[in-house]
Amino acid sequence: MTDPLLIETAERVFSDTCTHDAIEAAEREGWAPDIWARVAEVGLPWISLEGGSLVDALAVLRVAGRHAAPIPLAETGVLAGWLLAASGLAAGEGPLTVVPGRPDDTLELVGDRLSGVAHRVPWGRAVEQVVALIEVAGAWFVAAVPRTGFAVERRDNLAGEPRDTVTFDGSAQVAPAAQGVDASALRYRGALTRVMLMAGALEQMSRLTVGYTNERVQFGRPVGRFQAVQQHLVQGAQEAALVGTAADGAARAAGGGPARFEIAAAKLLANRAAHTATRAAHQAHGAMGMTREYALHHLSRRLWAWRSEYGDDLFWSSTLGAAVARAGPEQLYPIITSGSAVLEL
Amino acid sequence: MCVGYVVGMRFESTELTGTELLLQKEVRDFLAAELPRGAFVPGLGMGAARDPEFSRKLARRGWVGMALPRRFGGGDRSAVERFVVVEELLRWGAPVGHHWVADRQSGPLINRFGTEAQKERFLPQICAGELSFSIGMSEPDSGSDLASVKTRATRVEGGWLLNGTKVWTSGAHVNDWFIVLARTSDESDRHQGLSQLLVDLRSSGLRVNPIPFLDGTAHFNEVVLTEVFVPDELVLGEVGMGWAQNTSELAYERGGPDRWLSTYLVLEHFLRERAGCDADGRVAMLLGEATAQWWALRRLSLSVARKMDRGEAPAAESALVKEMGTRFEQDVLRGVQRLVDLEPSLESPSPFEQLLARAMLTAPSFTIRGGTNEILRSVAARGLRP
Repeated sequence: MTDPLLIETAERVFSDTCTHDAIEAAEREGWAPDIWARVAEVGLPWISLEGGSLVDALAVLRVAGRHAAPIPLAETGVLAGWLLAASGLAAGEGPLTVVPGRPDDTLELVGDRLSGVAHRVPWGRAVEQVVALIEVAGAWFVAAVPRTGFAVERRDNLAGEPRDTVTFDGSAQVAPAAQGVDASALRYRGALTRVMLMAGALEQMSRLTVGYTNERVQFGRPVGRFQAVQQHLVQGAQEAALVGTAADGAARAAGGGPARFEIAAAKLLANRAAHTATRAAHQAHGAMGMTREYALHHLSRRLWAWRSEYGDDLFWSSTLGAAVARAGPEQLYPIITSGSAVLEL
Repeated sequence: MCVGYVVGMRFESTELTGTELLLQKEVRDFLAAELPRGAFVPGLGMGAARDPEFSRKLARRGWVGMALPRRFGGGDRSAVERFVVVEELLRWGAPVGHHWVADRQSGPLINRFGTEAQKERFLPQICAGELSFSIGMSEPDSGSDLASVKTRATRVEGGWLLNGTKVWTSGAHVNDWFIVLARTSDESDRHQGLSQLLVDLRSSGLRVNPIPFLDGTAHFNEVVLTEVFVPDELVLGEVGMGWAQNTSELAYERGGPDRWLSTYLVLEHFLRERAGCDADGRVAMLLGEATAQWWALRRLSLSVARKMDRGEAPAAESALVKEMGTRFEQDVLRGVQRLVDLEPSLESPSPFEQLLARAMLTAPSFTIRGGTNEILRSVAARGLRP
């Protein structure tokens, strides 16, 4: 159970810093040093590394998702920090990022020398270290490279968040990855961070839509009183509730084990919601939601971008479905009630 | 954390306790022994067969009326414990038809609003799996707009005379009682002046006419009430307060496992008979998506049950879950249909094909019964007001 005070603190810091203009500026300039400084000042990026639990850090990510926080929060603590800590390397201060591991990456590790290109690296341009997980002859290694050791080509995702192409050709700090840490483990953990961010964004999107349609008056009454519009409000709330409970379930399970079923199911549901809930929210907002001046796009574009990070619908539905099929019909209901306690992925 | 928060609604995430998990295992063991697969024809969720003998057996295990007070034969168990039992029965396709309505809504309603004498008279028999109930809400001119009911109860010496017609009354031809929503007085606010009455389905002046269901089954009825005498002691709750009582009755009827499990067995049996060949991975995709949704819907549904145990009345949350769950029931069916090339038949020797055919013929009712999805969206939307 996460301390409500932590959530309150996170809520306060993000709502103070992640204003509409600040998010716009972050996208324009490619980095938000002021937001990062405030969030770092209260220690939010390193909760899971220093005193707090993974579950606490995930709860903070959900708050960050509500506020569309334009910083590498998931990357610094829960992903890169985790890889470093688990292999005995130091996280240091400042923002970190992780190489998500795309099929077109060409990383090669020889001794302590890392070379090649990594794609879609979040905030590669702004971090102190890039952390990569690399397989060498069947064993997994963690390699960390300081900002002087790589070149960055700026790229963005659909939400205007940095997803840079990073080229390495030099020395790295290298250590063997801890037991159980491999590309698959990173993918599940990465998916879990996106589930939390997406759950937060969906909640906020539902809130925003309910608020807007309650104020916008047409035909003499708030448009939210029209049944046709209410259908969109209800659908947005349903998706937020469904992904919200899935995120709770995944976070709780991840506090005690690999939680692969819960993460797979939650990411799949979040991905689906990125389609259905954004469609409903945009329809309810009309043209206003299509403008840069109104906040809806901070949420909807992030949902569309995060949908394809760490596993899209095709990946998670076939991965999860294949495991369920292997377990057989007698296990179908026990899986629905007990998840990873009875299903290995 | 663990607070899923949607504006105006809360779905506190919850897990089953050790005791609740033990109960789940007990029910699974009971069903595997009592109704082994292949030895009975499974039904589709709450639309399953009626079998008074099975209901009595369940009752002997303490699994009928379990959330009712012990002094009336119940188990003093929680809404969550009832949830645990009910979901297992439904996903097994067990014949719950005889006790279903009495266990889900009539019993709890009588317990909440009934007199001591009514509780003593009805609850022990409900908990024994003996007494069966129907629902007396809809009328030819009152469906979603229930406050417009025309069935009238007129004051007479010692009670009331009922006149009117109820429709879509499932099981009226075989059940024992039904709870009738009737107008007892005319008020400027039409939500006032309604009352609920307990009516013996074998009363004189009461006629049950079958309304054949489109799949050929005969569980639907019209019930014509002509000068049916109902003594004062069978008025449920307060005269004139029927609307509020009826609304709380609907909360028992919504958001539970019966609203997202109706087509579960179609997919389970599909898996049993057809999933062997999945060359293009489409079966896996459907299975992955459906499993994820069942898992999360169940979590929401469970959080609604916990709310009830805390004494809350989560009307908007229940409506939100039921609206989503029943659409999902239909989506599962459509998903399976897209993966097979066959002519569905109720006479097929294959349990999968039978279930598929039955589901196709009944699926449109999933999003109508217990409140249409259009009404549910209005109820849910009211809960979303900022």
